[in-house]
Amino acid sequence: MESLIAEATSYSKDENESLEVRAQKALECPCVANLRKGPCGTQFTDAFLCFMKSTSEEKGSDCVHPFVALQDCIKTYPDAFSEDIIGDNISKKEVDKATVQDYKFIPPRWSVKAKQQIS
Amino acid sequence: MDCQNISSLISNFVDNFIDFTVCGIFLPQPTNPSPPPQTIFPSPPRLVAIGDFHGDYPKSTQAMTLAGILDPATHRWSGGSSFMVQVGDIFDRGGNEIKLIYLLHRLKHEATLAGGNLVTILGNHEVMNMNYDFRYVTREGLIEFERWGWWFKKGMDMKKLGGDEDVRDVFDGLPVSFEGVERKYWNGFRARMAALRPNGPIASRFLQDYKTVAVVGDSVFVHGGLLKEHVEHGLEKINSEVRDWIRGSPTTKTTKCPDYLLGGLSVVWLRKFSYGSNCDCEQLQSILSSIPGAARMVMGHTIQREGINSVCDNQALRIDVGLSKGCGNGIPEVLEITGGKEIRILTSNLLYRRSDPVPDKKKAEFLAPEVGVKA
Repeated sequence: MESLIAEATSYSKDENESLEVRAQKALECPCVANLRKGPCGTQFTDAFLCFMKSTSEEKGSDCVHPFVALQDCIKTYPDAFSEDIIGDNISKKEVDKATVQDYKFIPPRWSVKAKQQIS
Repeated sequence: MDCQNISSLISNFVDNFIDFTVCGIFLPQPTNPSPPPQTIFPSPPRLVAIGDFHGDYPKSTQAMTLAGILDPATHRWSGGSSFMVQVGDIFDRGGNEIKLIYLLHRLKHEATLAGGNLVTILGNHEVMNMNYDFRYVTREGLIEFERWGWWFKKGMDMKKLGGDEDVRDVFDGLPVSFEGVERKYWNGFRARMAALRPNGPIASRFLQDYKTVAVVGDSVFVHGGLLKEHVEHGLEKINSEVRDWIRGSPTTKTTKCPDYLLGGLSVVWLRKFSYGSNCDCEQLQSILSSIPGAARMVMGHTIQREGINSVCDNQALRIDVGLSKGCGNGIPEVLEITGGKEIRILTSNLLYRRSDPVPDKKKAEFLAPEVGVKA
């Protein structure tokens, strides 16, 4: 992954190009457009920009504020980034056909419904 | 910059964002490829070992502080070149399982940078959860996973929207309802299954690093215990087979859970060398002698109410003090082996504090005011 990032961020031949400019260019790419739309678009942009620019050893650790803002926004608008809302891809994969019988699933006792009293 | 590159940047951003959201910490960037599994380690200058954590974050961090490897204020590695082993059972009985997994992951990275090491051993509760045996899951633990699942799903949505075509639906094929189980818990169980099944995000990212057995210097670490047949199977082979099982494979069906992880005589369940003072020392001796250079077996799994203890002339060291609030709330204790020779027990037990009149000289030589040393 690191090499991918390096590759992607060093696409520019200009060694002096700042991280800021690189991050801006990444944001201008059409494939990011959908993420910048919607109710959390601004928060996404801020958080992504900050992360791209981050030079901390633990990348992103200097981005707590924009990260928390994005979190709060997603909590308020849980469907902010779901494809259905944006309207791209409505076809839903048919999943979840499996039933619990397919698994040897053992729940903890506290989670099991109390048996109905039979008199 | 083409879209493929951008989408991998977005995915990397999303992973970090979700990590932060789920656990409040930033993890080091992953290094690729991951190092080959190592089973045998040379004797370190200082070795510390801690027993089962069972989802109790405060008590676990207390134990690691006692071990001198964790800064209690920052929760960063402070152990320098120390080598720490945690002998398994992070999961169940407590509500901070993911939080502990993340912390240990970060500590491993910091330990390596500091010239130390942190090895985590796989316990029977990790194996149970990977096999959907959730008998000992707590409500708080389920909530932690439900929250993880909710955010992980948001992350998947963001990656897809950012053009990542390889986003795997980690919930694929899992049931949405669980007959007989209260409805309010369904999402939690579904998330727990998704996270921990072989090849699930938490299993493949974190648990695959956990070793079933590790030999550090002349100490053999294992959660339950080793029998002759396990040694004959091959310790390296066990580690590598278990790792393959945990990692699963995105293309083929996951391999079966190895038999030596299941049942009372398995490496993660064995209690043969962990009960009372009646221990088959001869059998233990024979097993140890079949592992080159091994002088002792260090085990967790079976709670030692009296604290860390040893039998068979220090050949069996039982270090699970049941520290978690969910199983006894035992007083944290840590096994320390210095220079490959000197074995001590560091304890938070007030009975052994320096200010107390302790007749045993050894008990008085300890490291910090709140740390005691038992003989």
